[in-house]
Amino acid sequence: MKQRFTLLAAVAMLFCGLTLFAQDRTITGKVTADDGSVLPGVNITLRGSNRGTNTTAEGTYQIAAPNNAVLVFSFIGFKSQEVAVGAQSIVNVKLVADASQLQEVVVTAQGIRKSQREINYSYAKVANEDITLGRAPRLAQALAGKVTGLAVYNVNNSVDPSVKVVLRGYRSLTGNNEALVVVDGMQTTSTVLALINPNDIESVTVLKGGQAATLYGSAGINGAIVITTKKGAKGKLKVNYSNSTNFEEISFLPQFQDKYGSGSHYAASFGSAGYLTNYQDRLKQNWRPYENQQYGDAFDGSMRIQGRVLEDGSKLEIPYSAINNVRRKTFDRGVSMNNQINFEGGDETTTFRLALENQKIAGIVPKDKSDRTGIRFAASKEYKRLTASFTANYTQAKYDRTSSDFYNDVLNQPANLPLYDLRDWQNNKFANPNGYYNDYYNNPYFNKDINRNNYKDANISSNIALEFRATDWLRLVNRLGVMNNSRTGKNYTSKFLYSDWAKTKAFVPAPWGIDDVDGTGIYRAISDILGGVSDYSSTENVINNEFQAHVNKDFGNFKNNLILGGSLYQRYTKAIAVSSSSIVVPDVYNVSNRQGILGGGEGNTMERRFGYYADVTSNYKNWLILNASGRYDATSRFYKPARNKNYWSYFYYGAGLSFIPTDAFPGLKSNVLNYAKVRMNYNKNANDNIPLYGLDLTYPNGSGFPFGNTVGLTVGNTLPDANLKPEIVYSGEIGAELQMFNNRVNFEFSAYTQNSKGQVITVRVPNTTGFSNLLINVGETKNWGYEGEFKYLIARGTKLNWDFSIRYSYNDNKVIDLYPGINEFQYGGFTYATTNVIKGERFPMLKTNGYTYAPDGSGYVLINPTTGYPILNTSLVNRGGTLPRHIAGLGSKVSYGNLTFNFNFEYRGGNVMFSDLGRQMTFTGAGKWTENRDPQMVPNSATLNADGKTVTPNTSINVRESEYGYWVDNYRLISENFVTPGWFIKLRDINLAYTLPTSLLERTKIFSRAEIAFFGRNLFTIVDKKNYYTDPEFSNVATNSFTGTISSVTAPSGSNNVGINTTGQTPPVRQYGVSLNLTF
Amino acid sequence: MKLKSYILVVALALMSTACNEQFLDINTNPNSLPTASPNYVFTNALRQSASNMLGPNELASYWSGQWTQSNGYILSTTIFTYTFTNGDFNYWDGYYDNLQDYQFVIDNADAQGQKFLKGPAKVMKALLFQQLVDMYGNLPYTDALKGVSSLAPKFDEQQSVYDNLIKLLDEAIVDLKANAFASAFAGSDIVFAGSNTKWIRFANSVKLRILMRQARVAAKEATIKSEINKIVTEGSGFITGEDVGIGSTSFWQPADGQMNPIYENWGYSAAGAKKALNNYPRLTKYLIDGLKTSADTLRLKRIAYAIGGEGATAGVSTRAEVAANYVGVPFGASSGYLPTTVSAPGPSIIAKGAFNRPYIIMTAAEIQLNLAEAKERFGTGVSLTGTAQSYFEEGLVQSFRALGAATTGAAAFKGSKVENYDYVASSNKLTAIAFQKWLASCNFTGLEAWAEYRKTGVPATPQSLGVPDAKRPVRLFYPNSEGGSNSANVNAQGTVDVFATKIFWDID
Repeated sequence: MKQRFTLLAAVAMLFCGLTLFAQDRTITGKVTADDGSVLPGVNITLRGSNRGTNTTAEGTYQIAAPNNAVLVFSFIGFKSQEVAVGAQSIVNVKLVADASQLQEVVVTAQGIRKSQREINYSYAKVANEDITLGRAPRLAQALAGKVTGLAVYNVNNSVDPSVKVVLRGYRSLTGNNEALVVVDGMQTTSTVLALINPNDIESVTVLKGGQAATLYGSAGINGAIVITTKKGAKGKLKVNYSNSTNFEEISFLPQFQDKYGSGSHYAASFGSAGYLTNYQDRLKQNWRPYENQQYGDAFDGSMRIQGRVLEDGSKLEIPYSAINNVRRKTFDRGVSMNNQINFEGGDETTTFRLALENQKIAGIVPKDKSDRTGIRFAASKEYKRLTASFTANYTQAKYDRTSSDFYNDVLNQPANLPLYDLRDWQNNKFANPNGYYNDYYNNPYFNKDINRNNYKDANISSNIALEFRATDWLRLVNRLGVMNNSRTGKNYTSKFLYSDWAKTKAFVPAPWGIDDVDGTGIYRAISDILGGVSDYSSTENVINNEFQAHVNKDFGNFKNNLILGGSLYQRYTKAIAVSSSSIVVPDVYNVSNRQGILGGGEGNTMERRFGYYADVTSNYKNWLILNASGRYDATSRFYKPARNKNYWSYFYYGAGLSFIPTDAFPGLKSNVLNYAKVRMNYNKNANDNIPLYGLDLTYPNGSGFPFGNTVGLTVGNTLPDANLKPEIVYSGEIGAELQMFNNRVNFEFSAYTQNSKGQVITVRVPNTTGFSNLLINVGETKNWGYEGEFKYLIARGTKLNWDFSIRYSYNDNKVIDLYPGINEFQYGGFTYATTNVIKGERFPMLKTNGYTYAPDGSGYVLINPTTGYPILNTSLVNRGGTLPRHIAGLGSKVSYGNLTFNFNFEYRGGNVMFSDLGRQMTFTGAGKWTENRDPQMVPNSATLNADGKTVTPNTSINVRESEYGYWVDNYRLISENFVTPGWFIKLRDINLAYTLPTSLLERTKIFSRAEIAFFGRNLFTIVDKKNYYTDPEFSNVATNSFTGTISSVTAPSGSNNVGINTTGQTPPVRQYGVSLNLTF
Repeated sequence: MKLKSYILVVALALMSTACNEQFLDINTNPNSLPTASPNYVFTNALRQSASNMLGPNELASYWSGQWTQSNGYILSTTIFTYTFTNGDFNYWDGYYDNLQDYQFVIDNADAQGQKFLKGPAKVMKALLFQQLVDMYGNLPYTDALKGVSSLAPKFDEQQSVYDNLIKLLDEAIVDLKANAFASAFAGSDIVFAGSNTKWIRFANSVKLRILMRQARVAAKEATIKSEINKIVTEGSGFITGEDVGIGSTSFWQPADGQMNPIYENWGYSAAGAKKALNNYPRLTKYLIDGLKTSADTLRLKRIAYAIGGEGATAGVSTRAEVAANYVGVPFGASSGYLPTTVSAPGPSIIAKGAFNRPYIIMTAAEIQLNLAEAKERFGTGVSLTGTAQSYFEEGLVQSFRALGAATTGAAAFKGSKVENYDYVASSNKLTAIAFQKWLASCNFTGLEAWAEYRKTGVPATPQSLGVPDAKRPVRLFYPNSEGGSNSANVNAQGTVDVFATKIFWDID
């Protein structure tokens, strides 16, 4: 009741507000810069009102103000100044240039705070407001497109999306290429990116190169994402509540044909008795009411049976015509709801912050959902020279997802089936597996209901930091962090036994079918679904301690800073699983409810590292800064008591310089050039990139063993080289930063190169050696690129603020050398499309089979003169690199009064991808590109002449069976057809926020800030016109598949196999919603 | 205060600085064994051989015209229109991986006090290399399986590999005679349960197969004869009256991943659900019609199920087992033959519940028919005691037995005047022997059927419907895995034309 009164009062007072400025008088003055030059166009406003003006070309102004007025002077590139007018009538003001950006303090490697001037490498700092802009529920997605050199790969888009975060491309051939994630100084894993609440983040510093992370040791070789969480602020208690509601819907489906219904190859084959010469007649014969393929005759609107007769005699008769958008309708609209509240405050010596978050997601695949709740607590206390701080975080999440390939199941249903009406398979007899029309694929809704992965994550991490300021020149810091991630889960498949009718009696009645041809019984019903369950738990423990001594000592003009540090890291994991491949009592998912043998296994790992380092910075007059660092590391990954010490311990170093010419030679400074910095560095790093326990040849159990009491072991397939040692990465970088036009324009540029030698890679050796792989230090890669960022502050005033920025990065890599005699090896893929490492080329390199082209170079596609079919060239040919070379971002933020609008675009390109989805949809006949079933010639085709060199362009030879054979047995097998450029442009995020005016809020006495925002993410995506298939970002075959077991606590990583996409992914979505943010 | 602070900081800092070498000594793999006793490796190797042979035997069953696929699946163009690449049919890697296990046994048996395993491992090694040569021709043999000491193994001439295999089998027999199987380890031998005698007979049988495969190479005739005579002189004889199979009934277990690979692939799951692939392979029209024409209905009913497949009673068809209900599919037909309307592989290889039959790697029938061929070709040049006719007729009996048909049915063909069944009445004895070899291998040893088909051209099975010309594959490509990692040596073999680059014993 009281609250309501206050609100009413506030509204009432808003209307009274106009009367407050009754006693006005005129004030005049002149505004100059600190060097005495006049400043035209300076914004002058009366604090607490809408009144304002600008200075003239002479720098003068005039404004009406009451006695107690405070004037605010603001101008781009200068610090804002407030002046209390008092009794004066002339107020002259001198504005001071704003160099705050230049003095910005950045949290760098090992939590070392450096001023921007001192940093001699490229970094990016992303503030909380930029992270929370599109209300992305996960940090990784929120960073996409906002940092040069950073590529975030959305590997798939389920209720538990997985991402890969890569900085400056790939350098390791088979090892990990993902960036290190550091939270409050503690080395963690990429799991954190999925768990941390973006709102708890104060800022993220992205250290792009290996050089930036020299101090993190091997773990930092791929760059680091350094996250600093909010710690609370001194002052009175502030409470912040926010809610955001987010909807998601499919943004991209492949292009479908809607002309032809169910059917396959049933007409007699060419050359056999009864072959029909008219393709229309063959099409008619190909129609079948139970087919998953869509090669029947054209939709004609007639009523036809779909499927077979059910046991009760009923049959599904539906119009033979396409239903608009039927595949899209099979998916749900996803909804997610995020609620969070946090408290922060403190007094002179303490701060604390407590945050609570809950997020519920219901995905686009029906029934898929997740729920995450997290608590984060941070506190600090100062005891004179000692500051102790503490953070603790506990997050619980649970996920319920299908393990069936819902997407693929949907693609196997024709366009005339009202699939969305068949959700209720328990009660709808046509949706039930015993009555579902499709002989080969079960009802997608049934499959997703009976195949489930349920898992729960619990993550606890905490760290304490002690900082002791022993003297004014010595500071000791120690941070100790511990982390435990655990996952328990159960994957199951329900039991379903088909009826005898479905197995052997269901038939297609006249006039649609004949027993002898169509058979009796539903084909898929031969295999009863006996169910199965797998139960697992896994846990990961990490302990990490960092000790630093900071020594500051000045010698004349040289300010020196020395840091000595020690680091210790231990990681332990354990995973156990038990499983059964049957279920006795339906719906009881316990491994003891089984027949047959109990399956299972366990896996354990332990690794340790320790290191010592020194980092010295010498600053001459704040315009010439030299930095050098060195680190000694020892790692258990390469350790064996008998091994040479050089193999498991190593020293590496780096040096860098930054120079600010505008300060060294003040004459350079002008209105055009305000500030310039050039920087360079060179580093040698070592990387202990070897699989855990990779030093041993092992003898694991043979496949399936033990058989009862019979034991069988096999000789392992990977032979380790005896002299394995860490690989070495040399990196160099130069860059420049400029501020120009009264600090309105910011320009930053970097160029870098990295050379990685003696990589620890698993070389594919001929199986004829008895082993398939050799683990050895070989291979050399080069990785280089350029990055540029341009920021333009278009307007800066009390009302209108407008920033604009463009980012571009180019990255490329090359395999310089592999093992002698081995010029390439495969990451993976299919027999017809693979991703590879090839000497002298970019990697990963996509290779596929393709058309056979005319030997005379005329570009014609060769066909078989008898059949008219294209001749498949079975050898795999390079199609291009699969990593984007170009990443660009474009963003702008406009605020006018209380309204703020911003958006970010991202472009990635310069790569190719292969869509196995396209091949699959050619098989099913669902793809739009298969729409032409009329007699046709292979485009741009020719026949080879007898001389074997020249060709005759084809003007008359049609493909033999355009209605089926051409597509399924020819076009589909030519993988070149499904290779497309991988570029895309996405509107990553867009946000419109309205903040309630302070004047209004002050009167409520409750809220200090209130904001409502409408946001969208990935609202639109533009791809190449030849890309009918999918969002190119979803392109990772090795880790995208969520069918099968998820039994690891860490997010899928380590696989470099990007560039091949399949159906094993939830389709891309666009998201939009509204959020409310209240501060009390 | 100051002191307390120091204590706090120093205590924590100690954690970072008090590290030594011992701290790192945790790098022992806790998940996998660092060493292995040869007997365990031997058991796994045998079982792996069974799994590995499944694929090539299936492919060869198609390419020898015995099996084809139903149209419940889209036609496999790699198999039935021969549009395959060096990325398809990679049996090579699996075979060499398996051979490495046998090599480990051979290399470590002495040191581990398990000398008795050397002989059996060598026999298996010879068998696998024989199959590899039959599929790929030239291949690494002397330089193979040497790990880091030869990372790009050189290829040997196929003829010399064959010659070396005879020597290897001789060595195996010497080892087998010298080292009796320790009874405690008999369980690790899932082929002959530790019977040295049977291993020696098996070695001789493999030798016979290798020798007779080259029978049409004129230059080898003298060697073949003398080698056969050496076997006769040696005296241990051949495997008779039983087929050689991997895994006894007590070895295979009723669990997924632990059943006979055939049963597991095309039969049933451990819990008894029919496998989806049960609908894939079907018998060819040529085979079924041929059996009907020759009135070989006893074997027909064991080789195939009547349409509708296996019924409620294990091993018995759903529909009446009369000739009219057995329908074959024209080889390579891509439409019109749904799985339920044609005959599936029969009770001789798949019967519900029979998950624990041995995986057959050599039939007794084949041995008898090889003997018949030797005697037929070389007459008195070989000192074998039987006649070609007696071996032929015993071969027929053994084929009936292996399929589970009454052996009296075999005897009934004596004097029946049925071409290729009645030895005396058959117009070409070698054709009759080759035909019966082809039939006896049906459902069991497809690789033999395809090899013998390539060697003799018997029987004249029809070309695949989808292929416009008469070309048939005569070998496989070297796989891209070998080509990519051992390119110089693979390239040295010249361009492989799978339709023309024949194996040395395939002379026409």
